[in-house]
Amino acid sequence: MLKSKTNAKETETLSANPVVVSAVDGETPTFESINTSLSEIRKLKGVLGYILRSDTSAVIDFPQSDKIIENAALSSQINESCLEITKQFNLGGMESVLVEGEDAKVLCINIGENRINVFMEKNAPHSGIIKRILM
Amino acid sequence: MTEAYSTPLQTIISEFKNISPEITNTFIFKKNGEILAATQSADEAQNKKLIAAFNEIVDRSASISGLETLTIQGADSQMSITSMNNRYLVNVSSRAADEKTVKMLTGVLVPTVVKLLDQIPESSGNELTRVGKPGNEPTKEVSQQATKTTQGESMPDMFAPFSSEPFLPEPPMHQFMIEKIGGLLVPCDIVRIDGEVIAKWHDIYGGKKITRVHIETLEGKAILCGFKPIKEANNNGKGIIQFPEKVMQALQTSKGKLVIVKPEITR
Repeated sequence: MLKSKTNAKETETLSANPVVVSAVDGETPTFESINTSLSEIRKLKGVLGYILRSDTSAVIDFPQSDKIIENAALSSQINESCLEITKQFNLGGMESVLVEGEDAKVLCINIGENRINVFMEKNAPHSGIIKRILM
Repeated sequence: MTEAYSTPLQTIISEFKNISPEITNTFIFKKNGEILAATQSADEAQNKKLIAAFNEIVDRSASISGLETLTIQGADSQMSITSMNNRYLVNVSSRAADEKTVKMLTGVLVPTVVKLLDQIPESSGNELTRVGKPGNEPTKEVSQQATKTTQGESMPDMFAPFSSEPFLPEPPMHQFMIEKIGGLLVPCDIVRIDGEVIAKWHDIYGGKKITRVHIETLEGKAILCGFKPIKEANNNGKGIIQFPEKVMQALQTSKGKLVIVKPEITR
């Protein structure tokens, strides 16, 4: 999905272990500042990686490359389905979504056009991460 | 899904609004879209759309080893979907709802009841239903094997604690104020109860015949006696129970006093 963007400057870093894939096209300051704070959050214990997407840019940061596609598909589906559910049930604007699996959980927050998905271990404290993102 | 399965779930989720009035909609569904229980406020078409949207997430949740819970915080309301052994509990509440109460109901109470119900064979007295679960051998084959076994030696009584007793929810208790009835045509051992309450009992217990009620005074005197619905429609919904003189004497009580009434369910 990332690779299909036109006029996108794409970089892929494969240093030691972590995989950072980014496709950036006309980053806005908001996107940049969110990415900076997500990079910091990424270092916290229990955080497995993150995906940040806007209409024109995307950053994916995971330690293992084998789950990138699965995680990207899941986060995209969460966003799409939850927006639909939020609308159907008149929940008001979607503030955050937390999806917990057996081993891991995903925190999804939309800030303007920027869609944030933080993947973390099941026992990682997500409320602190929400605060840090919204700060 | 049997009535014995869905009725207790229906009863529980109907009480959610009484426990936390901020809860606006609750329902339980299976992955195939079958709705097992829902509150009155639930809109079926809306619920079906939710199930479809939710299933799309479940189908892509392999990277987190399946989906256990989903929580959406909206500006005005919040929704949680909790997985319970291939069934899902959806709960919508306003943001003002007490988080602990909602979590206790959706994360502890209902999943525990579902777990208990799963341990009970669907049709009581027929162990074969439990033996022939989908995914095992075909039912026909199992039935033949079982027949052979019963002809020869006795089958191990694996589900003995459940086989003779159908699952029945605990009888609901109601508090009524005593009103006296008399007259030549009034049977001396029959009390009269709100028709809506009787209808509710029949809803809960399906086809089960309820012929007597257990009546207890606040002082602890109790009796079992027959009952009929209150004749005068305007006396329904007032929280009264009509006693003939003999019943009042047996309970050593009088007009205006309170009694606790529950249906007698033969197990």
